Amino acid sequence: MSVDEDETQQRLKAALHYTVGRMCQKLGEEHHRQFSRQVIAAIAETTFRQCDIFAKDLEAFSRHAKRSTVSAEDVKLLARRSTSLSIYIQNKSEALNQDLKKKNTGKKKSRDTEEESRE
Amino acid sequence: MAEQQDVEISFRKDTVGKLLCSFFREDKTRLSGDAALLMAEMLNVFVQEAALRSQKQAESEDCDRVDIEHFEKVLPQLLLDF
Repeated sequence: MSVDEDETQQRLKAALHYTVGRMCQKLGEEHHRQFSRQVIAAIAETTFRQCDIFAKDLEAFSRHAKRSTVSAEDVKLLARRSTSLSIYIQNKSEALNQDLKKKNTGKKKSRDTEEESRE
Repeated sequence: MAEQQDVEISFRKDTVGKLLCSFFREDKTRLSGDAALLMAEMLNVFVQEAALRSQKQAESEDCDRVDIEHFEKVLPQLLLDF
């Protein structure tokens, strides 16, 4: 890996660490328990390495489907090990699709009204 | 700042996308937009689960602080669930 790529990865890792820290702090406040810095660092490191595994799996899934772009279907397949996680991800995916549809129809409508106003 | 506290803390789509892309073996592999959003959600769940399970472990041991040993105990099952 080149020095440049290594540096971006370090930055991404730092971003990950920051978000994990905020999540833990919020959860700790809700349950009146403090998370030690070591735990936060360990969760961040675990997440980072899990990302590595996730990415390699997703790449293999998309390759198997003869695609070069990882799609939402691949992510659904990634969540297959736990039933509740799988259902959760499927629901999220459906919600995303519906949002997209709404946006598209919204755009169409606004375009229609624009044309009407021009007329 | 007060408004920000109510907002659910989550990973940014761009961060997740770049991170995953940096792990791909082949350069030409791309990540679609909704896949990146779903993966951000997946990582949210992963971190929330890690934190919540560690917290529960600390609670069962009657500790005020969540320490590394609590996380160590929940880690194997966490990794098996994902």
